[in-house]
Amino acid sequence: MKVTIDADRCVASGMCAYSAPEVFDQSEEDGVVVLVQDSPSADQHEAVRTAARNCPAQVITLDQ
Amino acid sequence: MPHQIEELPALPVPRLEECPFGPPPEMAAFRERPGLTRVRCPTGITAWLVTRYQDVREVLGDSERFSSRPGQAAHVLAHMNPDLPIGEGEFTRMDGPEYQRFRRHFGPEIGMPKRLEELRPTVQRVVDERLDLMAAAGGTADFYADFAIPVTTTVIGGLLGVPYSDRKLFHDSAAAMFGSATSAGGLKAGTQPLFEYVHGLIRERRENPGEDAISRMIQRSAGAAEPFTDTELMRMSAGLLTSGWDTTATVMTHGLLALLSHPGELDRLRADPSLVPAAVEELARYFGGAPGLTREVVRDTDIGGHPVAKGDFVVLAVQAADRDPSAFEDPDRLDVGRPTDGHLGFGYGPHQCIGQQTARLELTVTLRTLLRRVPSLRLAVPLSDIRFKTGTPVYGPAALPVAWDAILPAEEGR
Ligand code: HEM
Ligand code: SF4
Repeated sequence: MKVTIDADRCVASGMCAYSAPEVFDQSEEDGVVVLVQDSPSADQHEAVRTAARNCPAQVITLDQ
Repeated sequence: MPHQIEELPALPVPRLEECPFGPPPEMAAFRERPGLTRVRCPTGITAWLVTRYQDVREVLGDSERFSSRPGQAAHVLAHMNPDLPIGEGEFTRMDGPEYQRFRRHFGPEIGMPKRLEELRPTVQRVVDERLDLMAAAGGTADFYADFAIPVTTTVIGGLLGVPYSDRKLFHDSAAAMFGSATSAGGLKAGTQPLFEYVHGLIRERRENPGEDAISRMIQRSAGAAEPFTDTELMRMSAGLLTSGWDTTATVMTHGLLALLSHPGELDRLRADPSLVPAAVEELARYFGGAPGLTREVVRDTDIGGHPVAKGDFVVLAVQAADRDPSAFEDPDRLDVGRPTDGHLGFGYGPHQCIGQQTARLELTVTLRTLLRRVPSLRLAVPLSDIRFKTGTPVYGPAALPVAWDAILPAEEGR
């Protein structure tokens, strides 16, 4: 699984960081998403899918 | 063509006296009818009524085609006049980068996981203190006035560093803001005292910063690409105070009423308290979207294949969408164990509720603590005697009389 983000759209809701804290973090400065790792391990896939589906600003794209 | 407008169906709004857990029963028929229906809203605007889950999610998720400019509840709040220019710092009506500038400034102050973890012990303490007060006062209480409102008021006041004794300022502003019939003048009169007070706090905390969200917003603003004016800072702070208590207190109270009326669901939670977070999501799905949301069409487009024109208003029946059988199985059933992923109770898209994590925390701690400390909690009157609020789209019980045999001490309830 490859994760890409379009941070320009991010509204700093933090939903992703709650769902998959090992993969998404937020900048201290403005809360914008920070991708911690773009190829998460298999045990993270479910959480990453949840994060992508629930991101209110459709920032997160997955290749599978 | 006034004649034609006369004939439009009225927007159905919840009638809780009749159907205590909403939405209005007609919504199902609107959802099943193909296309969209044009309706007359209580505020006088006409709008396309959108009731299906996929359509509501699509509209909320696409602010390039559907703007927040009219005001998020222009269909039910008389003071939200889409023709008025957007005021300085009136972020709820902004879109795109203009909106993002605000959202990235004040969202993290309350929403970041780190902040929530700091807040958790405070919420637990406030919940325990309120239960201690209820225990001391006797065997019955109004859960809404004696628990839910004080808890949510204390938490949002604490986040912004506003003492509990000053709560009347933001209680009054919320009564004006969420009063269906509030006029433009009434809104000004109801919010002005809070606005002036918050302006004062901003001046004070610029000199002497504290540990609160207002102080941090002032400090971060100084380093921002486009620093915020005092009025903009005031709007963000006052917005949180105004929107941050009755919303959650109402879902908490309505949610408790629903659980007490569905004892099987409450038993499931008692047997397995690890279901509490799922139960909170279910309550948000069940009740969160009841007021609905307004958007304005930015350019000619379609919604689920139905054409809509630039300038048209759209009303998103969020609660009906969250009861769409194509999205949730047996959707009208309260089911504390169901999958709720993707529910729209806190909205969706850029304007999705900024306080949702705060609300989740308050609801979770409350439910867990009630299960542990007040196992005998019950309604003190039959469901049919419960009265509901009128004159506001923050739909829920006006009071919730509850009774119990004993409230266990906080230590035992941990
Ligand atoms: C269960 C409780 C709550 C529910 C169901 C709820 C629901 C919502 C919904 C549906 C929206 C979206 C508005 C839109 O799309 O235009 C919203 C926005 C908002 N909520 Fe909440 N909310 C709750 C609790 C809170 C709390 C605790 C706070 C404050 C800490 C809060 C502050 C706000 C603010 C400031 C907005 C405006 C966001 C914007 O337009 O930029 N809410 N809420
Ligand atoms: S969920 Fe989406 S909008 Fe929210 S912080 Fe993550 S990427 Fe940004």
